[in-house]
Amino acid sequence: MARQAQKKDVVIIGLGWTGSILGIELAKEGLEILALERGPDRKTVPDFRYPDVADELKYGVRNGFMQRPRDSTVTVRRNLSETALPYRVLGSFLPGNGVGGAGVHWNGQTWRPQAVEYRLRSYVEERFGAGIIPEGMLLQDWGVTAEELEPYLTRFEYVLGISGKAGNLNGQIIEGGNPFEPSRSKEFPLPPLPDTYDSVLFAEVAKSMGYHPFPRPSANASAAYVNEYGMQLGPCNYCGFCERFGCLNYSKASPQTCVLDALKRKPNFEYRVNAEVLRIEKAGDGKTATGITYFDADAGEEIFQPADLVILCAYSLHNVHLLLLSEIGTPYDPATGTGVVGRSYAYQMTGGTSLFFKDKVFNPFVGTGSGGVTIDDFSISQIDFAKEGFIGGSYITAGHTGGRPIQQLSLPPGTPAWGRAWKEAAGTWYGHAMSIGAHGSNMAYRDTCLDLDPTYRDRHGRPLMRMTFDWKPNDIRMTQFMKAKIEPIAKALKPDVMSSSYKTDSSHYDVRPYQTTHNVGGAIMGIDPKSSVVNRYLQSWDLHNLFVMGASAFPQNTQYNPTGAVGGLAYWAVEAIRKDYLPNPRPLL
Amino acid sequence: MRGLLRAVAWIVLLGLVALAAFILVPEQRTPPQTNPLAAGWQPAADAPLYAARLADCAACHTAEGGKPFAGGRPIQSPFGPIYATNITPDPETGIGGMTLDEFRAVLYDGIGRKGENLYPAMPYANYRTLTEADVQSLYAYFMHQVLPVRNEVPRTALAFPFNQRWGIRAWKWVGLPAAGFTPRFNDPKLDRGAYLVEGPGHCGACHSPRNAFFAQDGYTSKDPSFLSGGLVGGWTAPDLRTVGNAIAGWSAQDLDLFLATGRNAHAGVTGEMELAIAHSLQYMSAEDRAAMVAYLRAIGPAPGTPPSAPKRVVARAATFGGPDATATEKLLASADPAMPLGARLYLDNCGACHFVDGKGADGIFPALDGNALVTAPGTAGLITTILKGAALPSTALRPYAVAMPGFAGRLSDEEVAALATFVRGAWHNRAGAISPADVRAIRGAAGGGLDASSLY
Amino acid sequence: MSLSPSALTRRSLLKTTAIGLVMGVSLPVPLFARSAEPPPLADYKPEYFTAQEWAFVMAATARLIPSDGTGPGALETRVPVFIDRQLAGAYGIAADWYMEGPFDPAANPQLGFQSPLTPAEIYRQGIALFDGWCRQALGSPFAALAPVRQDQALKLLEKNALAAGKPPAGATPAEAGPLVPPELRDFFTLLLANTKEGYFADPKYGGNHAMQAWVYIGFPGARASYAEWATRQNVRYPLGPVSISGERA
Repeated sequence: MARQAQKKDVVIIGLGWTGSILGIELAKEGLEILALERGPDRKTVPDFRYPDVADELKYGVRNGFMQRPRDSTVTVRRNLSETALPYRVLGSFLPGNGVGGAGVHWNGQTWRPQAVEYRLRSYVEERFGAGIIPEGMLLQDWGVTAEELEPYLTRFEYVLGISGKAGNLNGQIIEGGNPFEPSRSKEFPLPPLPDTYDSVLFAEVAKSMGYHPFPRPSANASAAYVNEYGMQLGPCNYCGFCERFGCLNYSKASPQTCVLDALKRKPNFEYRVNAEVLRIEKAGDGKTATGITYFDADAGEEIFQPADLVILCAYSLHNVHLLLLSEIGTPYDPATGTGVVGRSYAYQMTGGTSLFFKDKVFNPFVGTGSGGVTIDDFSISQIDFAKEGFIGGSYITAGHTGGRPIQQLSLPPGTPAWGRAWKEAAGTWYGHAMSIGAHGSNMAYRDTCLDLDPTYRDRHGRPLMRMTFDWKPNDIRMTQFMKAKIEPIAKALKPDVMSSSYKTDSSHYDVRPYQTTHNVGGAIMGIDPKSSVVNRYLQSWDLHNLFVMGASAFPQNTQYNPTGAVGGLAYWAVEAIRKDYLPNPRPLL
Repeated sequence: MRGLLRAVAWIVLLGLVALAAFILVPEQRTPPQTNPLAAGWQPAADAPLYAARLADCAACHTAEGGKPFAGGRPIQSPFGPIYATNITPDPETGIGGMTLDEFRAVLYDGIGRKGENLYPAMPYANYRTLTEADVQSLYAYFMHQVLPVRNEVPRTALAFPFNQRWGIRAWKWVGLPAAGFTPRFNDPKLDRGAYLVEGPGHCGACHSPRNAFFAQDGYTSKDPSFLSGGLVGGWTAPDLRTVGNAIAGWSAQDLDLFLATGRNAHAGVTGEMELAIAHSLQYMSAEDRAAMVAYLRAIGPAPGTPPSAPKRVVARAATFGGPDATATEKLLASADPAMPLGARLYLDNCGACHFVDGKGADGIFPALDGNALVTAPGTAGLITTILKGAALPSTALRPYAVAMPGFAGRLSDEEVAALATFVRGAWHNRAGAISPADVRAIRGAAGGGLDASSLY
Repeated sequence: MSLSPSALTRRSLLKTTAIGLVMGVSLPVPLFARSAEPPPLADYKPEYFTAQEWAFVMAATARLIPSDGTGPGALETRVPVFIDRQLAGAYGIAADWYMEGPFDPAANPQLGFQSPLTPAEIYRQGIALFDGWCRQALGSPFAALAPVRQDQALKLLEKNALAAGKPPAGATPAEAGPLVPPELRDFFTLLLANTKEGYFADPKYGGNHAMQAWVYIGFPGARASYAEWATRQNVRYPLGPVSISGERA
C-alpha cells in the first residue's frame, strides 16, 4: 500500500530543537539523514519578517504558528471517570507547528534543573524519608546526574548564545548570579539583558528583603553572537512580540537562528515538510525499528521510509502519541499501575500577583521574551518538604514579554468586563501594571497519564491521545506557599491595587486559559524498563535503534522551563549515539 | 588642390582596405604567457574546480534554474541582452572538442572558436593575466569535469551598430591591456594577491572606473585609478583604494571575514558582490584569501587599522545615550512625536535592526553610519535595498542567509526618499538628498519583483 | 553615466542596470498602504451578516465599548466591520478547530469549547435567539432598545440567564429553564472577545480604525523596536503608533 522509499541511515521525526541538533550532530558522522516535519517550512524572512509578524491577532490570538487542532489534538479529562472531550480550540497549551517547532514561538527562558531534581525520589527518601511521599505520587529519578549533564547543558547554552549571569561557577558563588543553581563550568556566553523598570523594582525590593535576585537566563541575545556552527544572533531590540511569535530580529535563539542554515548545507542531510509520520515500523523480532511510515501531504500518499536509526523528536505529547500508535512498549494502565508508555504525565504549576500603580509607567510594549529578574530562594533544593507539607518548589520572577493590548492588558480586580467602565479602565491602567509570578514544579501521579482515546480520531483515522490530568493537593500547597512569599514582596512595592491568582483547593484543570506549554512525561527516562520508556541515553528499552528526545522523558516536571534540560539531554544522547551506539548498535544498557 | 584630393582619395581607399582587412583578416591569438608547463603536466585533482570558482564562470554561464554552465542567461546591456554561451563540453551546442589554443584565445583575446569577436561582457581583459596552469586547469574543468548539456542558447542580436562585431576589434586595440601577469612586489604573498585580484577575481571590472572607451580604467595597481570605485547599474561599487575608501577602517581580519562570509563588524554584502561571495570568494583557500587581503591593504593609502583587541561584550540595550551619542541618536531615542518624517520613518522601519545609533550589530546588521552603500554617489544601491531588501549568502564559515525584508509595499516613493535622505545625512553621514523621482525610477524598473521573499 | 560599461562585464546588469536604463520612464505612483478613508460605517456592505444581524452587531458592540466617556468606542473604530470579516473568513468557519463529533456541548465548561457550531453559526443562531428574546421579553429587537435596556439584556446574555416566557420584570415567571441551549452558551463570550479584538487588532483587519484604540491607551503598534527605551524608568514613551501597513498616528 505505502510506497517504499530508498533507505536512509537515519530518519528524524520532527524538525524542532532536538531534531535540528540530532540532525547536525549525526550529519557530521557522514550518515544519510532524512528529517520529516509535519508542518510547513519556516524561515525568518519571509515567515517572521518585520513588521508583518508583529500581528497580535494572527499570531497571538489566532495562533498562526501553532498546531491546528483540526490537524492534531488530544482529548482531556480531569479524572479516570470523566469522559474525555477533545481539546478543540487551543487554550491551556500551544504546541508549535512547522520547521523550528516550539523553538520558533517560545520566550527563551533557558534553565538548568536543580541537582536534586534529577534524583528527586532518592533525595526525598534520603533527606526526609519515603513516608512524606503522598499516596499516588510517582516520584522517580532520571538516571542521569547534574554533573553528568553539565557539559551538555553548557554546550546547548553556547549554541543558543544565552544571556545571563552565573551564580555558581565551578563551585564558587558569584555575586549577582543565582547562588542556588547547580555548579556550572562556564559563564554564560552573553551578558544579561538590561532590566526594564518592573524588573528593577522587583530586584530592589527582593534584595532589601534578603533574597538573591539575578537575571533570568535568556535566549534573547543581549549582543551579536556567533555559535559553534557559525550561526548568528543579532541583539534583542525589546520588540514586545516574542511569546507566540517568530523572532523578527534574529535575536531569539531558535532552530532557525542557531542550527538550520548550517544543517541545510550538509549534502547528506535532507528534510521534508508537510510530512506527518503515521507510525514507527517494527521488525519481526520486535527488537528494532525498520523505519517509519509517513503521509506526504504534498503528494497525497503514504510512504514507508526504511532507516537504520529512528530519532523521535516531535513535541513531547506527540512522541508519546506516536509510541502508543506504533505499539512500542507496554501502554500504561492507570487501573493497575502497570505498563510505561503514557505513564507520568505532568504539567507546570504557575501563579502570580498583579500590581497596579497610578504613578508608575512601565511601557510594557518594551519587552523581551525572557529578560527579567528572578529569585530562587524558594527553589526545590531550598525547601524543607517535611516542614512545609509538599514536595516541590518554584522560582519567583518579574519581567514582561510585551504590552500587546488584546492579550496582555491587565486591569485591576473588579473592573467590569465591558462597557464604559472597562474602556476607561483600559485607558487608565494600560502601562501601569507589573506582575510577579511563581513558576513551579508539578509532580506526576498514578492518575495523571496519557493513553489512546476510545472515541475521537484524527484526520488520518488514528485515535487521538487522551490526557488525564488535574491539579493535586501537594502541588496546590506548593503554589499557596509561593503566594505567601510573593504577596509580601508585592506589598512592599506599595501598589495602589493588587490581585493574586493561584490555584486553590477547589481548582481543577481548565483547558481554556493559556497556562504553559510545558507538557512533560509519558515516555520517561529511568534506570528500570519496568518504570521507564527510555534509558538514560533516551534509547528505547524496547527497540534499540529508536531514541526519543524531548520533555516526554521527564519523570516529573522540574520547577523550571524545560528547554534547557531538553537541549542538554539531546546533546548528551547524541554523544552516546555517536561514540557508543553507532560503532556497535545494541541496547546501550 | 587636385593633389590634395588625390591624397585624400588614397587615404580613403587605404582606409577602406584597412577596414576590410580589419574586419576580414583573422586576429592573432596570444600564446601562453608563463613558462611552458612540463610535458604531460596535469592539474592537481581539485585545481580545475578551484580555478573555475576563482574566475566565477558560473555567475554568467549558469542560467537561473538552468543546468550548470549550459548558458542562456541574458546579460542585460544598454544595447540589448547578451546571452551567455553554453560552455559545457557538449559538441554541438557547447564547447566540446575545443582545443586548448582555442580555449586560451577566448580567455586571453576574446576570440571565439570561429574567430568571432566576443563582447567584453566576457571579462577577457582581466583573464589575459591567467597563468598557463590556471588556463589549463579551467580547460580541464570544462572539458572533463562539467557534464555536457545540450542547450542551444538564444543568439545575441544587439541593435546596430553594436551588432557589428568588428567594432569589438577596434575596442580591443584601445581597451585591452598587455597579456600575462608580471610579479612586481618581490613578495610572493603580495604577488599572489595581485594576481588573484587583477586576474581571475576580476575585481577591477566593477571596482574600477571606466575610461572614455568604456574600458576598465587601469588593470593593475600601477594605475592609480585601479579599484578606485566604479558604477554598476547605478550602484556604486565602492572605492577600495584611495584615502577614505570603503574599507579604510577595516582590520585585516575584518576584510578576510568579509571575503569569506559577506559580513563583518562593519558591513553586509549587497548587490552584485553578494553573488561574488556566494559563487566565488567564499571558496578561496585561507592562504589565497590572506594574499588578497594583504594585497588590497598594501595598495591602499596607508597601513590599515591594526587588529583591535577583543572587546568586552556589552549588552546592546546598554550602549545608547553615551557621551559620544550623535545628535541623530538623541533625536531618535527621544521618540519625540515632532521629529521630522525621515527620522520617524527610520524608527518605524529601520531601527529594529540598525538601532538608533546607526551602528547595527557586529556581523549581522550592517552599520548605516559610515556605510559605503548608504553614502555612495550612486544611489541605486540604497534605494533598491530599501525597496527590495537584501540577503547575505550562506557560506561555510557563516551559513546563515540573514535577510533584510523589503519595504516597497510599506513605503511610498516620497517616504523612501525622505528615509534615504535621512540616513544619508544621519550620524556622521554627509551625503546628498534623494528625490521621489529617483525612487520612482527604480521602483518602476523593478516591476513586481520587489518582495524579499523572492530572494529565497 | 547611467550607461555603465561595466554593465557589460557582469551579469549584474540584470537586476541592476536594467533599473538604471529605464530611468525617466514614468510609471503611475504605486499604491501604498496609506488606506484612503473608508466609506461610512452605515454604508458598509456586510460580507457575512444579514441586515438584521448587522443592526444587532452595530448596537451590541456600541454597548460593549460605548462611545461616551474617554476614548473611542466600537463604532468609531469600526469594530463591526472587523467582526463581519472575521466571520466571513477562516475564523468564522472554525478552520483551525477540531470539529469532529461526538459533541457534548453541555460538558463542564472547563473542558473547553464543545459546540458543534462554528463561530459564524453561533452568531447566526445566537443573534436570532437573543433578538427573538428581546422582542418577546422587551418588546423590540435589541437594536431598537434604549441603551439602558440593552445593557440589562446583555448582562442576562452574559450569564446565559435569558429565560423563556414573559419579561423578567413581568408577572409570569420563566416557564422553562434557561433559554440559551448549550451549543450557544459561548455566544456572548465570542461576541465580547471579538469586539475587543476588533478594537485592538491591527487596522488591516477592518477594526481599530486609524489606530484610535492604540493611540488611546498608548500602544505603539507594529513598531516593535525599543532597545533604546529598555532602561528608561518611569518615563512615558511619547511616540504614536505605526500599523503593519505603515500608517502613522
